[in-house]
Amino acid sequence: MLSWKLSLGVAIIAIMGTLNPAMSQNPANCRITLSGRVVDEKGGPSTYASIQLLENQQGALAGEDGRFTLRNLCPGQYTLLCTRVGAEELKLSFTLVKDTTLTLQLVETGVTLESVTVAASEIRGQGGQAAAELSGSDLEAGQGLGLGESLKRLPGVTTLNTGATIAKPVIQGLHSNRILIMNNGVRLEGQQWGTEHAPEVDPFIADQITVVKGAGSVRYGADALGGIILVDPRALPHRAGIGGVVFAQGLSNGRTGILSGILEGRLPGAKVPLSGRIQGTVKRGGNLQTPDYFLNNTGVKEYNFSWALGWQGDNWQTDTYYSRFYTELGILSDAHIGNLTDLNNAIARGRPLTDADFSYNLGRPQQRILHELVKVRSQLKTGDQSKLDLTYSRQFNRRQEYDAHKAFNQLGAEITDPSILFEITTHRLESDWKHAMGPNTHAHLGGNVMLQRNTTDRGALLPDYSADQAGFYWTAIHRKLPQPFEFEIGLRYDYQALHAGIQGADTLNANRYFSGGSGSLSMVYYFKENLRLRMNTGTAWRAPHVSELFSEGVHHGSASYETGNASLVAERAWNTSLTLEWNQEKRWNTTLTVYYNLIANYIFLEPAGTPRLTIRGAFPAFLYAQANARLMGLDWNAELKLHRQLTLESQVSLLRGWNRKLQDHLIFMPPDQFRNGLKMNLPATIHGEESFVRLTVQNVLRQSRTPASGDYAPAPAAFTRLDLEAVRTLHWGAQPIEVGLAVNNLTNTRYREYLNRFRYFTQEPGRNIILRVKVPFGIRAEAPKMENNSLTH
Amino acid sequence: MTSKPSFLFGLVILLALSFSSCEKDKDLDAENEQELITTVRLSITNTTTNQTTVFNVRDLDGDGGLPPTGDEVLLKSNSSYTLSVSFLDESDSGKIEDITEEVEEESAEHLICYASTGSMPTVTVTDKDTNNQTLGLKGSFSTTAAGTGTLKVTLKHEPEKGSTAACSTGETDAEVTFNVTVSN
Repeated sequence: MLSWKLSLGVAIIAIMGTLNPAMSQNPANCRITLSGRVVDEKGGPSTYASIQLLENQQGALAGEDGRFTLRNLCPGQYTLLCTRVGAEELKLSFTLVKDTTLTLQLVETGVTLESVTVAASEIRGQGGQAAAELSGSDLEAGQGLGLGESLKRLPGVTTLNTGATIAKPVIQGLHSNRILIMNNGVRLEGQQWGTEHAPEVDPFIADQITVVKGAGSVRYGADALGGIILVDPRALPHRAGIGGVVFAQGLSNGRTGILSGILEGRLPGAKVPLSGRIQGTVKRGGNLQTPDYFLNNTGVKEYNFSWALGWQGDNWQTDTYYSRFYTELGILSDAHIGNLTDLNNAIARGRPLTDADFSYNLGRPQQRILHELVKVRSQLKTGDQSKLDLTYSRQFNRRQEYDAHKAFNQLGAEITDPSILFEITTHRLESDWKHAMGPNTHAHLGGNVMLQRNTTDRGALLPDYSADQAGFYWTAIHRKLPQPFEFEIGLRYDYQALHAGIQGADTLNANRYFSGGSGSLSMVYYFKENLRLRMNTGTAWRAPHVSELFSEGVHHGSASYETGNASLVAERAWNTSLTLEWNQEKRWNTTLTVYYNLIANYIFLEPAGTPRLTIRGAFPAFLYAQANARLMGLDWNAELKLHRQLTLESQVSLLRGWNRKLQDHLIFMPPDQFRNGLKMNLPATIHGEESFVRLTVQNVLRQSRTPASGDYAPAPAAFTRLDLEAVRTLHWGAQPIEVGLAVNNLTNTRYREYLNRFRYFTQEPGRNIILRVKVPFGIRAEAPKMENNSLTH
Repeated sequence: MTSKPSFLFGLVILLALSFSSCEKDKDLDAENEQELITTVRLSITNTTTNQTTVFNVRDLDGDGGLPPTGDEVLLKSNSSYTLSVSFLDESDSGKIEDITEEVEEESAEHLICYASTGSMPTVTVTDKDTNNQTLGLKGSFSTTAAGTGTLKVTLKHEPEKGSTAACSTGETDAEVTFNVTVSN
């Protein structure tokens, strides 16, 4: 991480030309890029600010969008000076070791002299792994549709849907327990094992979402065979005053309304360095509509709330964070089926039995999900280059599923009695010590302990169980100039103890112990400062989940009888990827990733051949089995400037999954897809905010590589979908209002997605017109003049 | 600038206290266990002799474990019968629940379908629900020649009773097949 020092409210004398360069190294080996964005107090771009590095006199002028780039920098200690007419100067000292992105927040000169704020963020320490980020209007455009849907904009990321209301992210073909979701720095411990269990995260909390693809990020834990999704809220405000953002969205399909807001501030003065934020989201939607019919009972309610408090000492900082996610999701009534005959009848119909009307009513079947997170994080500066980070978190997850049928003994009862109820309580304690090992090597040493209790009420699909885990890791990143290499190594060891207690009426009393190492080795090779190759090879493992070991029963909605396999062993992935990044400023920007992921003892559901007979008739039976599997593919992302205002955007995701034991394709692998778009930039507003119109064409091929058995219907046909999007910032007096208008599925195309489990029953939703408004606001508090202050991040 | 550690401790304790408002893991009573259908019972009455015989298909251990087992339905040739069906929860032998009452109470939302093969004659449903549409808890049939066959009994929840193929709509709550022997 970048160590930086900040000077507040002190006038800087320009001393250009008087200082010697910080380091006199061979310029050919100085390849570091420092880029960033200058923003105003409201987070909007601050145009045409001047950026100077005092040590070597290198400078740049931020563009209309506030962005700037400084290239060919040698590593070393720098002082950056950011100036702009009408704003206070900003001075920032830091050590540059690798490519770094900064956000510089300028404060307009007011009547009083106020403290300036700097928020600095480093490019994610992704090492050699492929990663993609989503922020700004790209993130906001999808937030109203949910976390999974917003991530679909990234190459290599798709979703596994259960109807139109439940979407799980899929990274390079892997999902559920094979990926990790880090919700504000805490590993999400929800009900990710189920394919119809969406991530329990409010997408409006996120200021930035990063997807790290492939195995090897040892810092966040075992299990990440497919990758990691980092959902990060913005940092607490560093300057006195109060401000925030209001988001309002209306979606035509489902007649959905969303209101979300952030209110944050910091007390004035240095005596009580306390900052805080409250955030909340309310979402309400009704029945969704396909081009031909409404989907009965597909509404949604969502009420999310979070708060954060931060206290900043001289060389330490403590943050407390609480978030509560609550949703009620309707499940398409026609998708709830009793047995194999019902399923075949439904597939033969291929559409809901009756045409529903629009309604906000949420009936059965339904899911109600609650997720709470409490986190206390303390950071202590332990030296010039070192920092200790301690985090305690508690998560509580409650998942209530309401069957289509009320319980027979609950006649007349309201919808208060779930058919099945899962609860998880998780405590985690984590530590991370960042330190320097010599001038060219930075390392992290850390560990964690987790205690988890899971209970299942009503129904015996899963046993009650406890899962306890401990792990520790070490990572180091090394770069010594003039070598054009950067190396990163990561090692991790985890131990897990699983105790499965009671399953329905049976006492299992089964104990399972798993342990294993994870590791990664990566290298970045800089051909040129803007052309680099990332090579990563990593290994990760995942203990079988209780659902895979002990589940016994009919899986809701899928009409399959699933039997666990108590003798499963851990699965292990060996993942290798190559990523080539080539950015030619103002001309093109392209990233190509190829990956090869070998998973030993891959756990999958194997069709049992003979159906299971019950009093409700026959159900297709599946057994959890293991085999060696191979996933390989290609993700490509490119932006090519065709003309001054016109950019071609292109994405390709290809994937092949193979089961080596069965000598057959893996089931439910994302089909090959292509996304091409034209983005036309309109003249920026006088304040410099970006305006654009974008037309995207998405082509998804038919998944022709499906296994011989295991699915109930053949893969759906290929389709082409058109999306239109426009973003512009309006000004009402001094108040900026960002307005986005999007039309998803512009031509109201009828199509079905292979990775939607409800494709048997219905088409995908039709045209959806989304209007979104973002209103940042801020009130500056009178702050007394501050002395020099410094802190370390 | 100074900050007192005691203040920090106070803050942390305050925050820690505020967590006590968090949701707790609430276990529900086992009494809330839902009823399930373990038994489908046919009561078949010979209209001439007025003699009633009872045949069951049972799956007492629920979905998993052992498959359902059933009695063979024994009928006389060239005879008229009335039939009534009931659904029971016999999972707890000390507390047998008759779920048929609840099907009757919600008769408009339920439909019992009969499918016959071989020598088992077609069952004619003789009862109606509260909307005067077919229900199927009661029926009648007349056997002809001797032979063997099957009778499939299906309990449907929320079927589309107006549909031409009502029995292929709705969610199946129970579906069992009886083997039938018609003898002289």
